[in-house]
Amino acid sequence: MKLQMTNTQKVLRFMANNTVPILFLVICAFGIPLSGYSANYLFSEIIIRIVRNSFLIVSLLIPILAGMGLNFGMTLGAMAGQIGLIFISDWGIVGIPGMLLAMIISTPISILLGWWCGKILNMAKGREMVTSYIIGFFMNGIYQLIVLYGMGAVIPIRSNALVLPRGYGIRNTVNLIGIRKSLDNLLTIRLFGIPIPLATFALITLLCLFVLWFKKTKLGQDMRAVGQDMEVARAAGIRVEHTRIISIIISTVFAGYGMIVYLQNIGTLNTYNSHMQIGMFSVAALLVGGATVAKANIRNVFLGVILFHLMFIVSPMAGKNLIGQAQLGEYFRVFVSYGVITISLVLYEVRKKRDENIAGLELAAEQEVKA
Amino acid sequence: MSITFNRKTWIRLAAIVLILAFSVFLFFIGRQHTVLVDNKTITVNGTEVKALQLVEVQVNKLDALELAARDRDKFEVTGQTHEVKVVYTDSNWEEHVITRKFKIPLMQDMVMILIPALVADAQADQSVWLENYEPPTYAMTAAPAEETVITDDLAGLITEL
Repeated sequence: MKLQMTNTQKVLRFMANNTVPILFLVICAFGIPLSGYSANYLFSEIIIRIVRNSFLIVSLLIPILAGMGLNFGMTLGAMAGQIGLIFISDWGIVGIPGMLLAMIISTPISILLGWWCGKILNMAKGREMVTSYIIGFFMNGIYQLIVLYGMGAVIPIRSNALVLPRGYGIRNTVNLIGIRKSLDNLLTIRLFGIPIPLATFALITLLCLFVLWFKKTKLGQDMRAVGQDMEVARAAGIRVEHTRIISIIISTVFAGYGMIVYLQNIGTLNTYNSHMQIGMFSVAALLVGGATVAKANIRNVFLGVILFHLMFIVSPMAGKNLIGQAQLGEYFRVFVSYGVITISLVLYEVRKKRDENIAGLELAAEQEVKA
Repeated sequence: MSITFNRKTWIRLAAIVLILAFSVFLFFIGRQHTVLVDNKTITVNGTEVKALQLVEVQVNKLDALELAARDRDKFEVTGQTHEVKVVYTDSNWEEHVITRKFKIPLMQDMVMILIPALVADAQADQSVWLENYEPPTYAMTAAPAEETVITDDLAGLITEL
């Protein structure tokens, strides 16, 4: 039996369910006029951000389906993608073949790291997000050990442009000129003078279709069952731990590919920092899109990218025009990135309690009717 | 742990082999090389070959370059087999076009086409007019100052304390 709600209650409930996107819409509504940017500029910037970030954010969807929350461990996949890019830069493989080769190199590394991460997360059931976050930091240490001390010394690197002057270790920044915008420029059309990279959009669409198809497969249904209730899924004969590991592996592999797509758009690899920032920003963007720890879909991905990055674009200039300091906008956007994650996590718990209360009230009403 | 070779295992092995083969293919077709085109007076087998006054050089379908005597320029190409087209006018104002195919060693970053040598004997083996080129060491050596590697965003805070 459903509780009857008035229109006001319905509106309030809708607002409560979409607090974060509404909050961002309000911020953007104030920020856009203050920034003074033209609609054309904002649209072209948003297109760039969508093609750059969407792939990474879509990679977060599958672990959510399996009830493992937001996979902060996607940084592991990002590291694997970066290792692939370092190798192709050293070998001088450029363009689409370079990107594909980097993806192939990253795949076994991502699978291995994803399997290992999944194993650990199985030992920390119920605390997956914080565990995967810390695994990211731990793995960053190993990544640094390999890239800073192993490459050039143990792993052969030929290019002087990559190796530090001391003879081993990779430089702070790697120029990805060979693959820069190779996917984006593969097939481009101009809409009102704004370049639309169709090939990248096609790749993102393929990934979205894969996720939609995957949800309908046996494994996808198993993941959904595991995400809803692990014990019930186990009783139904689903290999819970195995399914959870696979979800993390898929996410890590896609994160690796996403990082390659992201970096081909930027054209420069920040060897020791790129991957650390990407996990936080992808999670924040997904949450801004209205996703929760337990539920996310493709609509959340695109809404999140648009709103989150719109704020990123307008806030420095809005801050400059408002106070006279662009730095204020920078502080604001960093503050909002972390703040939105906090708000979303708190709201998720509040909503969960509220839904439990509503379910209780519905049950009570049903029993009253029966009596 | 024992591995049983059933149909599934064979399919997986075949997939891995296929991916490895595809990687090798990507390596071959995606490898970038720099082709320098050089129009300087050179000595081939003890004979001096003069630089051309003006010559147009094109590699594959890339934009053609015009070189005067003592000029050097470059093309960036991917893959191993390429075609060079040289167009020049002789002293009788007669236009000549020479088209030759050449192959670059896979791991060679830079090669140099000696235009006067190619023009002097268009049918000669590519080893006569194409040579591997190693950039001078001073151009490749990085600045002596050691680059500071920042691996931790909080490192700045720690040193300031």
